Amino acid sequence: MKLATSAGFAPFQDRFTLPTPLTFVGDDAALVEALRAGHPGAAAKFYDRYAEHVRLTLRSILGPDEEIPDLLQEVFIRALARVRKLREVDRLSSWLTTMAVFVARAQIRIRSRRRWLRVFSPERTRPSQLEQPSSDARRALRELHAVLDRMPIDERTAFVLRYLHKITLLEAAEACETSLATFKRRLARGEARFREAVRDRPEFSQWLDEGTRWTEKKT
Amino acid sequence: MDRKEDLEATGARYRDLILQDPRAGDELRRGRAAFLEEVERQNAAASLRRPSARRHRRWLALFVPAAVAAGAAAFWGWPRPVSFQIGEARQGELGSIVQATDGETVPISFSEGSTLLLRQGGRIRVLSLAAGDTRVLVEDGVVDAVIAHRAGTKTRWDFEVGSYHVTVNGTKFRMAFRASERSLRVSTEEGSVTVAGGCLERAQTVSAGESLEPFCSSGEVPPPDDRPAIEAAPAAAARDVAPATRAARADRWRELLAAGRLLEGLRAAERANFEQVCRSATQKELMALADAGRFFGPSKRAVAALVALRERFPGSVAAGTAAFTLGRIVFENDHAYARAASWFETYMREQPSGPLMGDAFGRLMEARLRSGDTTGARASAEQYLRRFPGGPYAGEARGIMSR
Repeated sequence: MKLATSAGFAPFQDRFTLPTPLTFVGDDAALVEALRAGHPGAAAKFYDRYAEHVRLTLRSILGPDEEIPDLLQEVFIRALARVRKLREVDRLSSWLTTMAVFVARAQIRIRSRRRWLRVFSPERTRPSQLEQPSSDARRALRELHAVLDRMPIDERTAFVLRYLHKITLLEAAEACETSLATFKRRLARGEARFREAVRDRPEFSQWLDEGTRWTEKKT
Repeated sequence: MDRKEDLEATGARYRDLILQDPRAGDELRRGRAAFLEEVERQNAAASLRRPSARRHRRWLALFVPAAVAAGAAAFWGWPRPVSFQIGEARQGELGSIVQATDGETVPISFSEGSTLLLRQGGRIRVLSLAAGDTRVLVEDGVVDAVIAHRAGTKTRWDFEVGSYHVTVNGTKFRMAFRASERSLRVSTEEGSVTVAGGCLERAQTVSAGESLEPFCSSGEVPPPDDRPAIEAAPAAAARDVAPATRAARADRWRELLAAGRLLEGLRAAERANFEQVCRSATQKELMALADAGRFFGPSKRAVAALVALRERFPGSVAAGTAAFTLGRIVFENDHAYARAASWFETYMREQPSGPLMGDAFGRLMEARLRSGDTTGARASAEQYLRRFPGGPYAGEARGIMSR
């Protein structure tokens, strides 16, 4: 009897070969074509190229959420199913933002429903349970989430797309699937609400003004 | 905070905070695995076009009113009968032969989300689908399996492959079985499987990235690619072991390694003159000796076996793997980080598309950092994030980039 094992090593090369996914190389136009044609390496490349962008959109709208990996999957599966309908290939990034915004908003509705139903443990959706306040950065992030979490979905989304993603108002309106005028109204309300909320948090306001150092006010 | 510029600065900081979040790497990696798993499942059973269980649950939560959702939750929790479909339209029947002929690939889709792909003359029968316990008989050929695990549901998958028994602990693996030769190879891509029976003395777990290939032929004929190495044994050595009994004793290490008794094989090789053994051993035997040296010590035996492998089989895949392993040994045992970095670079140069590329990149980054080469570490981190943004070293890479 012979036994051969390889721990962490390449599979044996003799009689059988594991199919290795072909690596896709190309720009966005080629990537879209490859996705439409079902190129074996295109899906992975699509994800690798845009996952961070999509995650940024999801996290900025949702704050901390243990379902971010599932939501990433959701966005990319939706995109893959609709890639044949994509007309402006050079706007792949904005197109994905639209998908991410849609999925994030759906997730917010799911969260609201869960809270209302009390089906799930409240801890599961409480941001503070997911954050570990061990640094100024985390503390600031938590404050930001707290402020944004109190804003209506439409205003929050408008605010985040405009100031975090820095996309044009037109693109942002498109991502929200609304008119430019409506988007501007939402943004204006969001800005006002954000300023007001920050004013109520002097330490956070100071952090925003002065940099990364968090100063506790002694009373 | 009253000016637009202030809001823009806030947005920029918020963006940085999210990007630097230490959970980013883990979230991206898990999202990637879930996405690619779903893509593979959809490709395998394109005609079914059903959403994954995870997506299904999410849309239920969105649209179904509370009372119905509660009822549905109870319904989903209840064990339901599993069925399977062959190709695009044929309903599968228990016990019937399913075969891939003429080089075609036949997908078999199970209603609970798992998929089998029959390739290269693959022939199977589904024996049982009872109460979350699925048993499949693999009669011949290559079977790729992607097993779905639903949260909260206990499922068990067993494959009878010749005289072997493969139990599924994890999600994605391949079984290649040649009934005529009774040869089996199990390669796991994700998760793990347990292989027992046949000529295995005890059950073996095959984890992600590993392969197991037990040979049981009565004649103990080595695989064809091993023969040149055996013939290459020095003539002098052959003269030394002229008497049959001495020859048998001198080759004892070979039998022990072949039987998976690595420690005993290593000790026998030391008794038989380790340097000489390294000159006559096959690639697989040298790798087995290296494993034995790494696991049981001394590590200098592992180094000697790996160096011999690289000298005798330059340019081979095994030589590249040996370079990677040498890097690991030097890194972990000797803490010689600059030398380790050099070995990882060697692997990356020799096997640019090799399966250990991601690991080599990550380890190179770490070795450079520990050796004080911060510029090199930063360059590696940048390259790593570009190639493997959701990889296991992504968190560390981002940390290095943000320094």
